[in-house]
Amino acid sequence: MEQEQSLIKAAQAGDQNAFGQLLNARYDTIYRFALKWCGSVSDAEDITQQACIKLGKGIGQYRGDAAFTTWLYRLVINCAKDWQRTQARHSSDDRESLAVTAYESAALEVGGVTGEETSGHAAEAALYLQQVLQQVSKLGEGFKETLVLVFGEGMNHAEAAEVLGIKESTVSWRIHQVRKHLNLLNAEGGNYE
Amino acid sequence: MSDKQADKLASLFDAQQAAPINPDAKQQAINAAMQAFAAAQPHQAAEADAASATGQTNVNHGPLPWWQKIKQRFFQGFASSSRPTDNNNGRRNSMTQQLIWRYGAGATFACVLMLAILIGVKPTDFDDNNIALQPVEIAERGTALSPEKVEADALTEQRGKQQAGENTPPLNPVEIKEQALAENFGASAPATTALQLKKEARFVTESAKRSANAMGVPTISRKPIASLDSVGNSAGITNTDITGTQAPEEGRDDFTRVEENSVKRVVDEPVSTFSIDVDTASYAFVRRQLNHGVLPQKDAVRIEEMINYFDYQYPLPESKRQPFSTQVVVSESPWKPGNQLVHIGIKGYELERKQLPKSNLVFLLDVSGSMNSRDKLPLVKQSMALLLDQLNPQDTVAIAVYAGAAGTVLAPTPAKEKQKILDAMNGLNAGGSTAGAQGIQLAYQLAQTHFDKQAVNRVILATDGDFNVGITNPDELKSYVERKRESGVFLSVLGFGQGNYHDHLMQQLAQNGNGIAAYIDTLSEAQKVLVEEATSSLFPIAKDVKVQVEFNPATVSEYRLIGYETRKLNREDFNNDKVDAGDIGAGHTVTAIYEITPSQSDSKLIDESRYAGNRSQDDNKAQNAQQHEEFGFVKLRYKLPQESTSKLINQAIPAKTSMSEQSPLMQQEIQFATAVAGFAQLLKGGKYLADWTYDDAITLALANRGEDVFGYRNEFVQLIRKAKIAK
Repeated sequence: MEQEQSLIKAAQAGDQNAFGQLLNARYDTIYRFALKWCGSVSDAEDITQQACIKLGKGIGQYRGDAAFTTWLYRLVINCAKDWQRTQARHSSDDRESLAVTAYESAALEVGGVTGEETSGHAAEAALYLQQVLQQVSKLGEGFKETLVLVFGEGMNHAEAAEVLGIKESTVSWRIHQVRKHLNLLNAEGGNYE
Repeated sequence: MSDKQADKLASLFDAQQAAPINPDAKQQAINAAMQAFAAAQPHQAAEADAASATGQTNVNHGPLPWWQKIKQRFFQGFASSSRPTDNNNGRRNSMTQQLIWRYGAGATFACVLMLAILIGVKPTDFDDNNIALQPVEIAERGTALSPEKVEADALTEQRGKQQAGENTPPLNPVEIKEQALAENFGASAPATTALQLKKEARFVTESAKRSANAMGVPTISRKPIASLDSVGNSAGITNTDITGTQAPEEGRDDFTRVEENSVKRVVDEPVSTFSIDVDTASYAFVRRQLNHGVLPQKDAVRIEEMINYFDYQYPLPESKRQPFSTQVVVSESPWKPGNQLVHIGIKGYELERKQLPKSNLVFLLDVSGSMNSRDKLPLVKQSMALLLDQLNPQDTVAIAVYAGAAGTVLAPTPAKEKQKILDAMNGLNAGGSTAGAQGIQLAYQLAQTHFDKQAVNRVILATDGDFNVGITNPDELKSYVERKRESGVFLSVLGFGQGNYHDHLMQQLAQNGNGIAAYIDTLSEAQKVLVEEATSSLFPIAKDVKVQVEFNPATVSEYRLIGYETRKLNREDFNNDKVDAGDIGAGHTVTAIYEITPSQSDSKLIDESRYAGNRSQDDNKAQNAQQHEEFGFVKLRYKLPQESTSKLINQAIPAKTSMSEQSPLMQQEIQFATAVAGFAQLLKGGKYLADWTYDDAITLALANRGEDVFGYRNEFVQLIRKAKIAK
């Protein structure tokens, strides 16, 4: 952590090597978050690239008033939401097929690297997850990121609240709503579980 | 969802957590970020400028930095518009290319080779969602454009020019050149659809203009041959010309997320405080989106700016000792039976032309490359010419521009030398990247040289909001503008264009500079802001105007302020003269609307508090009966433009519907404001409007259009109709 602080300082002073190291270390975190968000490998790579570029442009704006991780999550969430907006403008047919694409691309791309068994599991998970996230997005703005931060990144409510710049109670309330909603879906024989 | 289910959900995420990471993608992203990082360093940018002088660019020539080991790989990443895997990629990656492109832009204009690469890497600059598809042969996009290929294209430019000459004899040489580029591009990607060709051709046209400017060749703006639109008027800009040809691109327009005001219980929070807001930028932006058949982003809708776009005919102030009049009217809420709306209307006095103070204006115009489209710089020039007509002969005008570097185009000149000013303005061309901050410093210096304590000293900034070189830190910029405001030079901001508009920064700059922020999308909007409202835009009659309303818990149970989310103040800020707030210009009208639930009504949203509720009611019963005749009390603070201590105006809100006591004109104005407020809330999602619809908004607005001399209210009704069918 301390080492990272000094990397950040150096990068802010214009040291390209330091920035490269910082990015190298943080890329995986950003990518995994993006993958959880969108469920498709190629989309996640695009989101991550946007986030990296934004980081390159904006590292000077990090002031150290929040933890670097917190600041970074905010940046990545913004990139992910930008991506979402471009998605939203494609036709509804596209959106219907999104989950399928996620399934196929995960099967294809994961399969190549880790073998058949894992691929099936990861692809299925990606498909389920996208369906759940789609339901959650329908609850309103802010729910998806809350869910991904709390369940995907394993943050506690206070940490998620800091990233999102909202009250801890709001995070708790949103998570409660998500639980209630998914429960309801389940009872109606919806597509979760 | 049980805990078991929560575990399941977490395990779904875990499956993704374990997903492998593609090292190529990682390397590519890091390379791209390195480029952005290098470009963001001030000394690097300076090097880029220096490089442009020698015809070099920092993107393709010069020693390669370590991270960019393989040139090929770099281009693989960015020639992605032709990536065969996914037809969405082009659009998304074009954002990447725009970034790269912008940083390289300062260096490009002297370099034809770079221009050719630009054509190659940035073909999908325009949105493809809103143009009706023609029945054309649709095939896959061409193969990747490698740098070598692009160079080859540049070399074949001459040949393309000749071909075009043969095919289309009646066109003039400039047109032929543009066509040649368009055709040339089409030839290099033969499988492109006609639709794509159109967009690309338009980009090429602009590139051609830029290169022509760089070579000193005069060009006129016109559409390329592949355009599906009718050929527009090339000399002037008309409304339909702009709105009809500019495809909506909302991707990079920058709006801050704002939560809509919620319903407050009077018992918990009896006092509401906000600063007034006379900006109208939001309305123009919303109109532009709706004219393209797209619903605006929710964050782009600021309800108070929509309401205040219209000029309501509230009674003028009776004496000039008090610069504005205040009206408080209570009406029934159209969307929620039982609720009532409290309108607070403010009208500033009108200055007569001979009373106008002298003006010392500095136009600060953005001439960066991003301004090079027909709804930007040409519209800026026309707008400024309109404003020029409104000035008195002894007023002074100076022009400063900023792009790669800031410069003075015209030293302060009396407005009577109109031709000289117009000539200076018409000589401007767009090109280079945006050094907005240096430009602002220069403009303030110019204003300072002719500073006149009796005059209105104002910098008028016209930009698409793209500040990427110089003081890029918005906070620093804001505090700079704020310090200058204290020295007596104010700042107004006129926003132009779309696709790259940084709404938040523009708002903040204008707010800190005691000026208006207006968004100019058409010439008629320029007419409204700069001609009809010239006096209110230029001459403040009161500054730091704050409103504080205290509701009476005996008569009101809940209230909600409609709009003004970005203008909220703390309760204690009201009496603190150090806290900055909005300004009112001569003749401005400002309207604020509260929705309240009277305590007898059963339309409340919040339940009574089980333990705290009754006590306060008992207290109130003990107080005198007069209290039950008021819903609340409005307090207004303002300062005269030259003063630093505030004055106070008080007015009670009667506890009954007071519409019937108003004149028919006043009733009409109140109802129209209500229609606008309702429509704006619908655009934001309408969560407090129950089943009130666009149709209700149309009915209400139609019935209360009044005389509508300029047609703004009719246009508003049309906008509601467009919102109804927009996606």
